[in-house]
Amino acid sequence: MSGQGQVSFRNIVKMHGEFAALKGVNFDIKPGEFFALLGPSGSGKSTTLRILAGLDTPTAGRVLIDDKDVTSTDARDRDIAMVFQSYALYPHMTVAENIAFPLEMAKLPKSEIAPAVKDAARKVKIDHLLDRKPGQLSGGQQQRCALARAIVRKARLFLLDEPLSNLDAKLRLETRAELKKLQRSLGVTAVYVTHDQEEAMTLADRMAVFMSGEIQQVGTPAEVFARPNSIDIAGFIGNPPMNLVPARYVDGDVIVAGHRLKTTTTTAGERDVVVGLRPGALRMSEGGLGARVDLIEDLGDTAVLDLDCAGTMIRMRVADGNIPGEGDTISITARPQDVHLFDPATRMRL
Amino acid sequence: MTTTAVTSVEIASEAPRSDFGRVLAQRERRFAAALLAPAFLALLATTTFPLLFLVYTSAFRMDLAMPFTNGFVGFENYQVLLSDDRFWTSLLVSLVYTGSTVALQVVIGLALALLVMEMKRGQGWFRVIAILPVVLSPAVVGMIWRTFMLAPEFGIIDFLAINAGLGSKNWLGDPTLAMVSVISIHTWQWTPFAFMVLLASLASLPEDIYEAARLDRASAWQRFRRITLPLLRPAIVMVIIMRTMVALTAFAAIFTVTAGGPGTATEILNLYAYRKSFTELSIGYGSALAVALLIVTIIISGILFAMRRAK
Repeated sequence: MSGQGQVSFRNIVKMHGEFAALKGVNFDIKPGEFFALLGPSGSGKSTTLRILAGLDTPTAGRVLIDDKDVTSTDARDRDIAMVFQSYALYPHMTVAENIAFPLEMAKLPKSEIAPAVKDAARKVKIDHLLDRKPGQLSGGQQQRCALARAIVRKARLFLLDEPLSNLDAKLRLETRAELKKLQRSLGVTAVYVTHDQEEAMTLADRMAVFMSGEIQQVGTPAEVFARPNSIDIAGFIGNPPMNLVPARYVDGDVIVAGHRLKTTTTTAGERDVVVGLRPGALRMSEGGLGARVDLIEDLGDTAVLDLDCAGTMIRMRVADGNIPGEGDTISITARPQDVHLFDPATRMRL
Repeated sequence: MTTTAVTSVEIASEAPRSDFGRVLAQRERRFAAALLAPAFLALLATTTFPLLFLVYTSAFRMDLAMPFTNGFVGFENYQVLLSDDRFWTSLLVSLVYTGSTVALQVVIGLALALLVMEMKRGQGWFRVIAILPVVLSPAVVGMIWRTFMLAPEFGIIDFLAINAGLGSKNWLGDPTLAMVSVISIHTWQWTPFAFMVLLASLASLPEDIYEAARLDRASAWQRFRRITLPLLRPAIVMVIIMRTMVALTAFAAIFTVTAGGPGTATEILNLYAYRKSFTELSIGYGSALAVALLIVTIIISGILFAMRRAK
């Protein structure tokens, strides 16, 4: 490994004509970290990854890798390995030739290439497929081949662009776990782009959440989940996502659908707010907000209830064995620390 | 039509299921054959029959200047051919002409295609302009080159040569220069074909593998050698096969520019066969030459197709 794999983005701007794909992006990735770039499609996360890889150049700003400015360094000279969403395998080469390609380009002697290829293939469990061409592999096997090609080189940075999005659901879960183990065992810095919040939550040590060309929050998955910075992040993270209800703040309380809820957040005077309530943080208890159960989605161990609270739709997650019937009227409440407040004008957390 | 339909339905209702399928398949085959027949017969009449007649003619002495000597001679024409120096010379000229024009077309066509792929604007215009020579008749191309381009003093090429200090050259009168000229003309006319095929093939290559190669630290040359060339190989081989077959049987452009001259300097086998048949009126021997050309073409095409299948 030729470097630590520390990354810094300083005010990166990327314009496509008039359109700003990135509007001044800043973040730091620590060596050895599994860092996720999370966001809906078109939010700029893939552009960020391509700029980091050197495949695109930023319009303004600086990219630092291991404290060295690489903004105008060609992709070839950045010592970065990448797994593409499409895998980008060389179709005319066998699996072994694909994996060997980066080593051949690095002018390694043949005697070193063969064992390195075998080793990388073994790590991703495709050592029995070395003679096949990419066209003869399944999607999952192609994905592993792309992984092997990326890890064989022992680059200082390991970029993954939605690597799991072309796999079926079961394989995606398996590969996700293996990916994390692989990254840990290699000890390499990984930057992972995904639009799937669950993937980011389970894989990442830290993540940056992108919304329309800007990073709205950087933190550990737990931090982002517990204290989302904005209405957009609150509505993006969590499954089902946070309930966001217009409400009125009056002296330390919020009035939601005619009912007072205590909150730990304090703000000046009386004002309109948006209240965020996690479906899992809602409790059934006497004297709370009255709600009629519209629909029950039974997930086996838990159930998600669609509640109608005087015209406001709220979703709630309840544990098995505690499920009311459809059409029942229940009373719900939340602990003060679970009541998040957002400014409806700036859409930011209060 | 109606009656056949009724019968087949009757048969189908009585016969077991597998028979029904077979009857249907048979009917379909017959229908396909009926559709194919007119085109097939036309091809038979215009290509296969003349070919067989050519082979038949080649077994005769058929000399229009001396009709009294005509008659069946078996393989005599071929025996004469094998010891005919002019045949071997024309075969060599054919091979040089074909080899150099095809090689030039592929190399220049590929270089142009790579260049045009990089063009951000004006690609469409370039394609239209590039295709123009292909749509011209080879005879017209020959005339244009003989008069406009290569005529001493007045031709554009000669004018440029004079201005470049090379002096006026006898482009079509000097044996070596004449050969260079006819090769250039053919290359000029047909490179756009290779260019278009290779450009289309290049455009279909996925962009992401080039990005992967960049990250894998391949230089521009390595990307070309290790990725572009192998992926273009099928298209290149196809261009070589198609252009070789055409170049071996080229005629009109050379005929109008040099008519095989000076002497026999640009006399390719096809032209020799023509001259023998229609200038010297020795139809039988001319036929034998044409058959020889056919055999050479088949052998070379066979080798090329085998190479294509090799990997």
